[in-house]
Amino acid sequence: MRRRSFLAIAAGALAAGAAGGYVAWRSLEADRRDAAALLALTLPDLAGREQAISQWKGKLLLVNFWATWCGPCREEMPNFVRVQAANASNGLQIVGIAVDQPDKVRQFANELGINYPILLGGYGAIELSRALGNTVGALPFTVVVDRHGKVVFTHLGALHEPRLGELLQGWLSAA
Amino acid sequence: MIVIGTAGFPVLAQLPGARPELLPPDRAFRLSARAVDRDTLEVRFDIAQGYYMYRDRMSFRVEPVAAGAADLPKGERKHDAFFGDVDVYRGEVVLRVPLASPAAAGEALTLFAQSQGCADAGVCYPPNPQQIRLKVPAAGARAGDFVEARSGGLFN
Repeated sequence: MRRRSFLAIAAGALAAGAAGGYVAWRSLEADRRDAAALLALTLPDLAGREQAISQWKGKLLLVNFWATWCGPCREEMPNFVRVQAANASNGLQIVGIAVDQPDKVRQFANELGINYPILLGGYGAIELSRALGNTVGALPFTVVVDRHGKVVFTHLGALHEPRLGELLQGWLSAA
Repeated sequence: MIVIGTAGFPVLAQLPGARPELLPPDRAFRLSARAVDRDTLEVRFDIAQGYYMYRDRMSFRVEPVAAGAADLPKGERKHDAFFGDVDVYRGEVVLRVPLASPAAAGEALTLFAQSQGCADAGVCYPPNPQQIRLKVPAAGARAGDFVEARSGGLFN
């Protein structure tokens, strides 16, 4: 009896893993957190204009916390440029929040030809990311908010293809 | 059936909950320091396994006595796709910060350190400003004991 239930759990975990249980697990975790703090935020863009995160409500919003001093962040960002270009018409909006000095951010954004908004969060943005689940305060950190304003994903560390594309397709095809 | 059960573990091992937790920066990079004598401070970083610090992103300042240039040991050469060849530290690093002019025996000094490091797991921690209060040993006394940086600093 005991052995049977263990096997059932193991088989269930295997099936769930194969069927994208990883994403489901993250969702359960992230659901408990509130996107309200993020959506209520207003930060300056590279031109110094204040931008409210709430303007992208209703889109699939991927917010990436990054910095020029963070090697894994710089390595990851070309992936975001590609998926933003490929999915702009599908309702994907990527927003970068730089935990950094404005002049360094501007220079890097120009070099990379970033095609999505970069907002200047300063070092204080680390605290915001902590509230979203980045407990150790490291970068890169990514949060995905679905069209209903709910946090569906948080991830510490770089996201790469093909996983990034697969994850996005899942959320973009969801109602 | 047993085979299915064990085959499940590699899947479970990939779940984020099963990943080793990343350390907060004050545990990944433990800073301590001591006053050796009236002219010299000694700074020590104990870097957890799987973590590294950038040599060229360390800086030190002392008050109220000015500090000279820190004597940073040679690090380990690391090739970074963006930063080129950089020197990094792993494990234990001990370095000396000379004072520009001798402090008074028994004088209280504050060491301000700024440092930055990353984990091999692929994340980096923000530049971390920390401070340590030190007491210069009395004339003829042995070097002071190492004092750990307070945790709960600006980014800890």
